[in-house]
Amino acid sequence: MGRILIVDDTMFMRTLLKNILFSGGHDIVGEAADGAEALAKYQVLKPDLVTMDIVMPKVNGIEALKAIKAADPAAKVIMCTAVGQEQMVKLAIKSGAKGYIVKPFQAPKVLEEVKNVLSA
Amino acid sequence: MTMMKSVPVKVEHDGRWVSTTMGIGKDRIRIGAPLDREILYKSMVDLEERKNQVTITTGSDEAVETFRIASVEKVLSVLKKFIITQCSAYRLNAFFMSPAIRGGVLVKDARWEKGAIAVMKTGIWFVSQENQVCISLGDVAGIEFTRREIQGKDLDVVKIDHLIENEVVTSFVLCPKTTLQVLYNFLKEATQNSAYEGELDPLTGQVAMLVYSGMDSSNIENMLQLSHKDLDAIYEYLINAGFAEVLYVRREIQLTAKGVRYISDSMKSPTSE
Repeated sequence: MGRILIVDDTMFMRTLLKNILFSGGHDIVGEAADGAEALAKYQVLKPDLVTMDIVMPKVNGIEALKAIKAADPAAKVIMCTAVGQEQMVKLAIKSGAKGYIVKPFQAPKVLEEVKNVLSA
Repeated sequence: MTMMKSVPVKVEHDGRWVSTTMGIGKDRIRIGAPLDREILYKSMVDLEERKNQVTITTGSDEAVETFRIASVEKVLSVLKKFIITQCSAYRLNAFFMSPAIRGGVLVKDARWEKGAIAVMKTGIWFVSQENQVCISLGDVAGIEFTRREIQGKDLDVVKIDHLIENEVVTSFVLCPKTTLQVLYNFLKEATQNSAYEGELDPLTGQVAMLVYSGMDSSNIENMLQLSHKDLDAIYEYLINAGFAEVLYVRREIQLTAKGVRYISDSMKSPTSE
């Protein structure tokens, strides 16, 4: 089980992910609503994994991913984006993302992906 | 008479399953007694699959006949391949990727497979050298004409969202644009009953999203701060609109005086009596 930081600009999606991950036995160590907050919280909380939305105000998910990977090359980040933005996959993977989730998602598959990334 | 490899199967006959043999030939199958029938692949108009069983439909209108055949996966796989490649259906050569996304998570080892697609009455079949995938039209949750980067090129593809045992799966089809447009139009028309033109109010939409994600009623009530009555009303709306169906009815109970007494007594330490 992992300590997870959830990054998404909508409270609804954060709450949904929190519920899913909690039901899978994970600890939610923090939440962030934009990329800048994500980086700040990552450095303090040192989570095992980050779920990162891509489209966010101020600093977007890709920029936040790059910043986190620059600060901690071993960071495990799963990107999370809406249908129709799948073209971001390559960019995210190139930038160091370990997994990719497309919204809307189903709990069992999300938990499976988190487990895979955590154990990799 | 063509040479046929004969295999043991079970067929449905007069409402019950009977053991017999089936010959699988190049252009037909021959089912042994008590059916004693030869069926040309080209006379088949539909093929449905459920676990180790296939249902074959031949003819049209009043001359429709159905045959249910059960066998081991290896036999059915050979049979399906012959049917898909020769039956009376709209067929096209294409590349497909299925599944590409499962439950919102990208399938890491997903790859394009070269094969054929057969569009039948109740579903679409993809068949390649290694894979046979059926998408039942009743399980199609969305179709989109979109573009996807393939080997450095931005190409037109059809994206199909469909359900497999309640799991939402996304598959992609790639073929020449004109053929792709025909496939898209067919799917759009065949699944238009499941399309919804209106828009759900935000709260109902959020409930639907949570159900999609696998949340149960108590989770949804907690997350959205809804009363049981409010959530029930939203469920009613979703059910009536055809968005959802009742999975099971769960009861909430409270203890009577007898129940309370039992629990209280069970908590007493043996020495307190």
